[in-house]
Order: sequence, then C-alpha cells, then structure tokens
Amino acid sequence: MKIQSKAISCKPFIHSKKRSNTLQCYLMLSTQIIGFLVLTVYPICWAAKFSWFYYDGAICNTRFVGWENFIKIFTEDAMYWKTWLTTLQFALVKLPIELPLAMYLAVLLNKKLKGKGFFRAVFYLPNIISIAIVGLIFSNIFDYFGVINSLLVKFHIVKQEVDWFINKGTAMAVLVCGSIWCSFGINILYFLAALKNVPEELYDCAYLDGASKRTIFFKITLPMMAPVMQTIILLSVNGTLQINEYILVMTNGAPGGKTFTVMSYLVSKFVPGFAQTSVNIGYGCALSLVTSALMALIAFAYMKLSKKLSEIY
Amino acid sequence: MKTSKAYMIYIYTVLIIMLIITIFPLIYTVASSFKTNSEIMAHPDRIFPREFTFDNYIAAYNSGDFNILRMLWNSTLYTLICVAITLITSSMGGYVFARGEFPGKKLVFAVFSSLMFIALGSITVYPMFEILNFIGVSRSLWGLILVKIFGISIINIYLVRSYVRTLPASMDEAAQLDGCSFIGIFFKIIAPLLKPILATIGILAFQQSWNDYLLPTIFTLTTPSQRTLIVGVVALKTSGEAASSWNLMLAGTTVALVPVLVAYTIGNKYFISGLMGGAIKG
Repeated sequence: MKIQSKAISCKPFIHSKKRSNTLQCYLMLSTQIIGFLVLTVYPICWAAKFSWFYYDGAICNTRFVGWENFIKIFTEDAMYWKTWLTTLQFALVKLPIELPLAMYLAVLLNKKLKGKGFFRAVFYLPNIISIAIVGLIFSNIFDYFGVINSLLVKFHIVKQEVDWFINKGTAMAVLVCGSIWCSFGINILYFLAALKNVPEELYDCAYLDGASKRTIFFKITLPMMAPVMQTIILLSVNGTLQINEYILVMTNGAPGGKTFTVMSYLVSKFVPGFAQTSVNIGYGCALSLVTSALMALIAFAYMKLSKKLSEIY
Repeated sequence: MKTSKAYMIYIYTVLIIMLIITIFPLIYTVASSFKTNSEIMAHPDRIFPREFTFDNYIAAYNSGDFNILRMLWNSTLYTLICVAITLITSSMGGYVFARGEFPGKKLVFAVFSSLMFIALGSITVYPMFEILNFIGVSRSLWGLILVKIFGISIINIYLVRSYVRTLPASMDEAAQLDGCSFIGIFFKIIAPLLKPILATIGILAFQQSWNDYLLPTIFTLTTPSQRTLIVGVVALKTSGEAASSWNLMLAGTTVALVPVLVAYTIGNKYFISGLMGGAIKG
C-alpha cells in the first residue's frame, strides 16, 4: 500500500520536471525563435504582400495593382533579365577556370611536400578578407593609373594603358580575376579534404599495373571525388550567383550598368543608400521574390542533373 | 609512389608562382599605404615605397570627414558585441538541440535549417526598419546590433550541436540527479567544456562582423558618425573623389586588413577547422 502511494506521487513529479525542461529549452531558444518570426517570417510575408502594391514609402501613394508588378518583370524589364545574363556569364567564365585550378593545386598539395601547411594557409588567405575591401584593392591595382597598367606598359605587353572599366568585356575580366583570387583557396581546402577520402591502396594498385599519372587522375582520383564534387560545385555556383557587394564596390555596374549581377542590381535599384530616394518598393519586392524563386530553381535543377555524380561510387 | 626531382621542382615552381599571385595584391596595398601621395600617383609600378612615410595615416587621423579613430572604435565595438552574441546564442542553441528533449524539437530544427535556403535579399531591410520604428529604435548601428541579437546562425548551431554530442552524457545525468536544472547543467557543466569549438566560432564571427559591409552601410546611412571602418573606407571610393583620396583609402584599407590578418596568423587552424566542420559535418 505504501509503495503504491509512492508510485502515484512520483508521476506528477516526473511530469512537472518534463514540463519545466520544455520550458527551459524554449527559454534558451527564445531569442532565435522570436528572431525567426520577426526577422525572417514577417519580412517574407511583407514582401509577398507588397509585391501586389505600388509602394514608394509614402502611404498616400500606396495602391493595389494586382499582377501588374509581375507582368512588368516578364514583359518590360529587359534590364533585369540582362543582369541575369551577366550573372550566368560571370559563372560560366569564373567556375571553369577556378575549379580546375583549385583541383590542380589541391592535387599538388596532396603530395608529400615541405611547407604544405604554409602554402595552404596562404592560398586560403584572400578568403578571410572583407569582400568590399577586395573590391577596393582590385579597383586600385586595375586603376587606369594603377600597377597592372604600368607594368603592362613597362614590359611592352600593351602600347598604351588599358581603361579596364570602359567596356563590358575587360570589366568582366577584371571582376572575374578578383573573384577567383578571392575564392580559389576555399575550393583547394574542399578538394584536399575530398582527396583524403581516396584510399591510398587504389593508387598503389594502379601504379603497379603501370597506369600513367594522367590515367590515375582521370580513372581513379576524379571518379572517387565525384560525390564531393557535386557539393563543391553547388557551393561555388551558389556563391557566384549571390555575388553582390563585390560588384557594387568595384564597378558599381560600370560601364552603364552592364556588369551588374542580379543581386547587386537589386541592391543598387531598391536599397536605401544605393538607390534613388523614391522607388517603387512594391516592384522591388516582386523582383526579389522572382529572383529567389529562380535561384532555388537553379539549385534544384542542378541537384537533379548532377545526381549521377553522387552515384559514381 | 616516388616523385622525381624534376617533378618536385616543377611542383614548387607552380606553387610559388601561385603564392606570389595570391599575396601580391595585399603586399602592394600595404606597401603603397606608406608611399607619399605623389609617389602613389606617379609611380604605381614601384611596389615598395622609395620614401617610407606615415603621412597617409597622419592625414587619415586628421581628416574631418574620414575620422579613422572613430570608425576603428565603431568597428571594434560592433565586432566585439557581435562575437559575444554569436557565442552565447549559438552555444545555447547547439546545446538545446543536442541534449534537450521537448515537443517540437525536430520541427524547430528543420525550420531553422531551411533558413539557409531562403534568401530574399536586401529588400527585407524595409520591413526590418518598420519593426525597428515600431519598437522605437532608430536606424543606427545599435539597431543593427539589436537585429543581430535575434539572428540565427545555423552553421554555428550545427558546430556546437555536434560537439556537445561528443561529450559524455553521464555527466549531465549525474548533475540532473543532484537536482541541477537543464539550464544549470549548461552553465555549470557544458559551457566550460565548449572552449575549443567556441574558439572556432568566435574567430569566424570576429572575421565576419569585422568584414560586414552591406548592412552596416544601410543602417548607418543617416548616422555617418557610426560608420564602421569598412563602410567608411568604401564610402571614400563611392563619394566621387576616388582619385584624390587613394592615399586615405590605402591607409584605411591597411588598418582594416590588419586585425583580420593578425587573427588569421594566430588562429588559422580554427578558421580551417570551422570551415571543414561546417561544410562536412553540417
């Protein structure tokens, strides 16, 4: 009888303990949950709402316009789609240079070398620098009166200084250079981590069978790395599509807005401090929604198309 | 596999060329900041200054518009507060998701993780301003810090969570039997053990907030005295007198670079381990 009563009195105790635990968990997460609701969910709803409005910050001008903003994006706004084209061009020039370069350096660094850690640390160094500062540094060295021009003239590679930012081709080339400089190091680290996962015995076997270095690389190393490659490429593609401050600082779209990528274009067009004072924020909301939907679509399509990569081994 | 001597020479040549390309822009920038203004303009091809001078730093110190000390202080304050916030919220978040048992845990975690994929871009500053207005906080660096307090850094939560999972659960259980509460266990037992992972998170947070550009620019638009160093240095370029103020810009850039470079030299293993932890375990 005594034992039974004890068991009964224990139950609410455990219950209240559980409840108090739950309470404490939510208490510890409270700032983040509030932040999520107020700073993530609310702004998304806000943007979704105002994408149906004409809204320039003044309440009296605000009016409901229905699908108008979205229709305008797809029928009138050629500039916006040009920035998408620029973004894709940027990615298509940058990634085919950066990824093989990083892969090659990673393969070299994976050998038994002295000073391996030092090289790795220096290659990663540009990655920790503020992207805005990278923009400044590169616009300084590629300035008309900058070091690159004066060296090119000095060694008679060009006759006269090149004005890098006067046409789209050279401006893009400079942007791509700076961007590769900034991020090839991180890819070396990723590739090095992936190379560690390739078992040593595989190399030894192939070597004993008389395979050449090239064959070993293409038939063993590359396929073994394929699953990690899928992630590395996804991260690089995503990083390139999101390029933003870098363009704003370095060219601010020069010449004539031709080097704007999507994200930097949206900032330069709609964000206070970069845009003109009176803009149709409602239209900006619609553009932002369409942009993030397209970004998600690209990531999704990439995951579908690259599924084979992760299934090679 | 043996590597021939010629091949080794080739490897080192490639690596050293890449090394030079990598550090050249930095060396050039830092070295140029010690040139006189006329040398910057007339001899861009000289990498190291012929006449070594601190003039640019003195000019930056004395300049009315480009108050470098003030900006340095703003940057330091902003960075320290952001690091402290990140350390507190991500360690608590990681602990709760590793050890806590509460209804809705999976849901909250999934929702937080999906945050990584929702990026509406900078248009969201408008609703943020609206909220700050609503609670009566002005658009300033403090407003931005308030936003950061409520921010979620899911990668850091992942890092702490996987670290807490490696700690033996028997300690918590013992403490729990002794009557220690869930929060008490965190502060008395778990938090002191988190030092290694917090070093990684702290140094990454330091680098990120020191380097922050876009949001501080937007938030300090109406309060230029609160500009951080990065914001101020870049503003020199966009203010339209770029050519005449390269000397200030170079000095400012160097000052902005130094803390990050020092942090990287001291703690580069933390940078790399944080990166790898976030990328692979995450």
